[in-house]
Amino acid sequence: MTAADETQDGGLYAVRQKIYPREISGRFQRLRVIAVWVLLGIYYVLPWIPWGGRQAVLFDLPARKFHIFALTLWPQDFYFLTWLLVIAALSLFFFTALAGRLFCGYACPQTVWTETFLWMERLAEGSRSQQMKLAKSPWTREKILRKAAKQAMWIAFALWTGFTFVGYFTPITELAGKIAGFSTGPWETFWVLFYGGATYVNAGFMREQVCKYMCPYARFQSAMFDRDTLIITYDEKRGEPRGARKKGVDYKAKGLGECVDCTMCVQVCPTGIDIRKGLQYECIACAACIDACDEVMDKVGYPRGLIRYDTQHGLEGKRKRVIRPRTIVYASLLALLVTGFAVTLSGRDVVGVDVIRDRNALFRERADGRIENVYNVKLLNKDREAHEFRIRATGVEGLEVDYAGPTVYVGPGAVQSVPVRIRVPRGAVQGGADLIISVEAEGRPDLSASGKARFIAPTD
Amino acid sequence: MPLLGDEYTGAVRWPRLRQDVAIVTWPSFLVASVATMICFAFIDPVLVGNDDYPPPAFATRMSGYAIGFFFFWLISALSSLLTLYLARTARPEPPETEKPDDWTRSVP
Repeated sequence: MTAADETQDGGLYAVRQKIYPREISGRFQRLRVIAVWVLLGIYYVLPWIPWGGRQAVLFDLPARKFHIFALTLWPQDFYFLTWLLVIAALSLFFFTALAGRLFCGYACPQTVWTETFLWMERLAEGSRSQQMKLAKSPWTREKILRKAAKQAMWIAFALWTGFTFVGYFTPITELAGKIAGFSTGPWETFWVLFYGGATYVNAGFMREQVCKYMCPYARFQSAMFDRDTLIITYDEKRGEPRGARKKGVDYKAKGLGECVDCTMCVQVCPTGIDIRKGLQYECIACAACIDACDEVMDKVGYPRGLIRYDTQHGLEGKRKRVIRPRTIVYASLLALLVTGFAVTLSGRDVVGVDVIRDRNALFRERADGRIENVYNVKLLNKDREAHEFRIRATGVEGLEVDYAGPTVYVGPGAVQSVPVRIRVPRGAVQGGADLIISVEAEGRPDLSASGKARFIAPTD
Repeated sequence: MPLLGDEYTGAVRWPRLRQDVAIVTWPSFLVASVATMICFAFIDPVLVGNDDYPPPAFATRMSGYAIGFFFFWLISALSSLLTLYLARTARPEPPETEKPDDWTRSVP
């Protein structure tokens, strides 16, 4: 029996050969189920959590603000996102060096959503053998009903996923109301369907093929492997030569190894490989074969671990080293980056100022003989409380700052544009001079910022 | 070598055309996502083109982001397509220097 029995699947994927992974339970599968619940739980619940009158996590694209609990990030804080991506990449390197493709098996969205789609498939079509029988059977009433039930569950779940995704970018309670009243905007509708459709196709149909043909990580992860990396391996020395045997037979006398060749490890594999042929890049390290093999070993009374997490050095009977130059370098880099990120984030500027010259006139000569320049000062208050700001300017002797003052109110996480007129005595500036325009919150000298501005005046 | 399989064991293969569609659209999708993030962190779509030539290029920010994303996706997909075409139409390496196509399976 092979893992990939050929069947014809209708529509877009007409010539596809489908893999029917056998359902399996065991300690690693329990871990994976927990991972699915935790990760998808976070994904589906997070947008519904309120935080001080708004959504706790909201990437408010129309307002160009990212809210993450107490934190509000602005386009100016973009480098934090870049930094975060670097940390994510390095964590991936670290965990890959440590224990291989942990990410693929337990945390990758592709794996996690595929897993839930497999559950729904089993709910509608039954176990592996029932599914295979159903695929071969003609279109009976039962087949139509079962297939329709599966599709209904898949489509509903995919649409809910798309809806949740959009809910990270537009307030989800409003979005839910709009959907209930069929009054979503064109882009909201589009993105719900786009992301829902992507989930449906990726988790319902493409599945392990995404890992095989489309995932770059699957191809380059071996560069982070060494002989001390934990991988899922078949103990060839112990298992071979493999072969069926009767219970209680002295297999050693017959020259057999401990692999009973039950092919359970192949049947449970979601990517349809045979782990006994060695580590292959299709392996997503889901550990289903470990659980399957352990179960069989228990039944036949051999010790567990014919297929197990081990390192190449471990398999060769050498000492296993978790702490080694590669992991030390990755870990210290990671620690450095995370500390730097936390320190920078906690000490980031809370007030921002942006000075734009009025483009309509270079300067104006006033009746009193002074020269006036007009600026548009944008005040950015990233604090969670509102503040009253004072605007000052320095750089030229005897200058005067005029704005609708004495203070400017800026709400929490808001931007306020203030037209500011700066006047200097005639002759104080010849041609041009640089000014510093600074803002400071009333009673909070720590909340201040300044920006440069160019003052233009006629040359006498 | 216990860790190296001699033959391809995954029984399921995609037809060439589907592989091609996947490896053109997917990497370009990833690149377009990153490009969109970087681009619109610095550029506010509603401020594009409304200085000297009103009306603005994008009516709303959301349409600006979306159109920007699909523009980037299209451009990077074209690049992927050309790369794929060049790679697929190159004269094959002579057999003695040919690397096994499954080198990524090996563990150093």
